[in-house]
Amino acid sequence: MAQTLSNQLDIILNTFERNVPYVQATAIVSTDGLVIASRLPDKVEEDRIGAMGAAILSISSRSGDELDRGDMERVLIEGKSGFLLLHSIGADAILVSLADKEVRLGMLFYECKKCINQLNEIL
Amino acid sequence: MPDIKQIVLERDLNPYHSFFASFFGGLAELGMLNQGSINIVSKRAADYLYAYLDAKEILPDMNAVPGDTSAEVIKNLILYVNKILSLVGEYDLKEAEQDQVVLLISGDTCRICPKGVGGAAVKGTLCPVPSLLEGLINKLAQKEMVKLITSGIEKEGSTCKAYYQVLN
Repeated sequence: MAQTLSNQLDIILNTFERNVPYVQATAIVSTDGLVIASRLPDKVEEDRIGAMGAAILSISSRSGDELDRGDMERVLIEGKSGFLLLHSIGADAILVSLADKEVRLGMLFYECKKCINQLNEIL
Repeated sequence: MPDIKQIVLERDLNPYHSFFASFFGGLAELGMLNQGSINIVSKRAADYLYAYLDAKEILPDMNAVPGDTSAEVIKNLILYVNKILSLVGEYDLKEAEQDQVVLLISGDTCRICPKGVGGAAVKGTLCPVPSLLEGLINKLAQKEMVKLITSGIEKEGSTCKAYYQVLN
């Protein structure tokens, strides 16, 4: 039986989280700021992650354009307790991931790219 | 920039409509506003509008709102809200599937559209109306009466559609 899109997205996010130790949560949101799929802790408000993730990426992309930095690769926000990483998935979606401070950033970036390649094929 | 003079006259805008739509439209063009954030802030605005109506002592008496069914009551609450805020020109609320209603707005009569009135040149929708009405109806009814099903607005030609679940 063919899997639904929702199932496929959940499997990809689950695999990504398993492959990168210390990744705590992931979500795929539309550039409209609406959540498409997510694996978030209960205390995180899904609607807000969607709206803010899309806004941050959009502002960053605009800033990159204005300041002649070329196409944006990713946005990384570093806090005292961990990281927020945002990646474009094509023109219409965004991968949001939250990771603990202990995460290996090289591994995170590498697995993010793999994950995005998979998502590009189905979105 | 759209033909502002034509929009002002055809849609019968007041200065607040122009300000609201162009302000939101400008934020969206800077990448600071999207449908998801509009949904969140519109509900916040609903709380403030409710407090405004309360302060002005113009809240409707819920016992006197006409309607034999929840859908009819919702329709009359939207009528009341629109009379005060003058959000849209032509609209209708129809029963959809079981326990659902659909709000149909003639897009070219909407007075607060960040795109159609505010000129935001962005992809996707930016409609504050569905979540603003959801928030206001629930505040006026003092209970969870409706829940927005669609994430924002769905465009079908020049008609903007928002689906709500009628909860009770």
